[in-house]
Amino acid sequence: MDFLGQVVTWFGAPEQWNGGNSIPVHLLGHLALSGSALLGGLLIALPIGIAIGHTGRGAFLAIAMANIGRAIPSIAILGIVFPISLRLHLGFGFVPTLIALVALAIPPIVTNTYAALREVDRDLVEAGRGMGMGELQLLARVELPVGAGLLLAGIRTAAVQVVATASLGAVISADCLGYFVLKGIATQDRPQIFAGALMIAGLSLVTELLFGALQSRVVSPGLRSAEGAGAPSGASA
Amino acid sequence: MRRYRTAALGASMLALVVSACSTGGGSTAPSASEATKPAVTVGSEGFDESQLLAEIYAQALEAHGYTVTRQDFASRKLALPAFDSGAINLIPEYIGSLVRELGGEATGDTAETMTNLAAVLEPKDQSVLDAAPAQDGDGFVVRQETADQFSLVTMSDLAEVAGELKWGLPLECSDNPSCGPGLNSVYGIDIAALQVENLGACSGEMATALNDGGIGVAELCTTQADIERYNFVLLQDDKKLIPAQNVAPVVRNDLLDAAPDDFESTLNAVSAKLTTDELTKLNVLVSVNQESIEDVAAQWLTDQGLVT
Repeated sequence: MDFLGQVVTWFGAPEQWNGGNSIPVHLLGHLALSGSALLGGLLIALPIGIAIGHTGRGAFLAIAMANIGRAIPSIAILGIVFPISLRLHLGFGFVPTLIALVALAIPPIVTNTYAALREVDRDLVEAGRGMGMGELQLLARVELPVGAGLLLAGIRTAAVQVVATASLGAVISADCLGYFVLKGIATQDRPQIFAGALMIAGLSLVTELLFGALQSRVVSPGLRSAEGAGAPSGASA
Repeated sequence: MRRYRTAALGASMLALVVSACSTGGGSTAPSASEATKPAVTVGSEGFDESQLLAEIYAQALEAHGYTVTRQDFASRKLALPAFDSGAINLIPEYIGSLVRELGGEATGDTAETMTNLAAVLEPKDQSVLDAAPAQDGDGFVVRQETADQFSLVTMSDLAEVAGELKWGLPLECSDNPSCGPGLNSVYGIDIAALQVENLGACSGEMATALNDGGIGVAELCTTQADIERYNFVLLQDDKKLIPAQNVAPVVRNDLLDAAPDDFESTLNAVSAKLTTDELTKLNVLVSVNQESIEDVAAQWLTDQGLVT
């Protein structure tokens, strides 16, 4: 109980709320990194996922590349990009961390978007074509709404991974919640390490719940039973 | 008949056991010079120079018939508990930082710092062997053009323009007497008032960041290869913030007692040849020329006539 008391005391200390290394500064930095990375990931991964999901072509190549991206440890990407970023005067911690996080966000979005579109009942797609829908209309009015559950599940996975991993930026001085963990390790301040880890885990949990709620809102009620689990049942009209 | 056979068996077994026990003429323990040399596990603290020093001492001992295992740790904070527990029994260290880490006092004088170090090691059943002339302490470094722009030669010069530059400092700076508290008390530099980017002290990233202009002042180590590689200017510690930081091997007394005399003499002979210039040159071979630590250590020991 004394340790938890120390953690609570840590949260109450004034330097945690004022100055350049306060919780608000690093929380904001963390959100900026995560938000930008998710956005960047979506901008790259969604078009790719939709293209291969809709046409069914090029899937192998796209998914293989995405998985290679997942296999490269984020910290290695940080180390590689860091000197390049400095040389290009793109600043210190934010850019290399952003790039590493975007690389992390892409695979789940590509994979899930592809799967979501592929698992849409072919009968529905054919019906749409029969009604005279063009490719874009098919996407917008049939495939994406039906595949929304699985697609959003991919975005949710990407979001949680990005939020949890953004803490890595502290290694190269980016503003993020990882600062408290590293500072705590450097000064052997265990309550600080714990507080940092708590904040990161808490933020990841909030992200998970937020995107979960978004999923429930966006996915059509008729598909609710299938969301996140896989293909909607083919028999229902 | 059976009883006699059992007795005979018992008697012969007893004879066997007794004869086995009395082999060696009844001496209790063999003298140190006859025993096999004790196993040495040498530790290092993650960074190249530490591993290089460990390798040099290790190879010197191996040339004298010792079996040496190397064990690397990510930092001093992890290596020292292992040393205290006996997982490692030898570690090359820096006398100024180590004595402070253990609660003693470090000064600019090597002999005084060594005495203080020996004193804090004694209750832990540990000893420090001879110090090498080579010293590696924290240093504050700027680019050549920065030094030209602000006419920077000493730390006192830097103190006058401290606020105009971005500093690269490690996260532990606020706790380290050679960093935050020291900069304040000796040079009047308050790190809380500076623009700071947190990077590892003496790290490659710190050097790269300084070279590429991301920071204006970096905290590096005085024998670090990057200073030569990037033609940085190491500011003179005119008011003696940094204490004596000689390299010295620290050893557990149980190893020292169990080992024959050549253990200590071998290590001391190595230390005697290790100067600051030599150490810097070796660092350049490892970091800039990308030679392996094993090769660099072996070549140096041969060149110095420490191994044949």
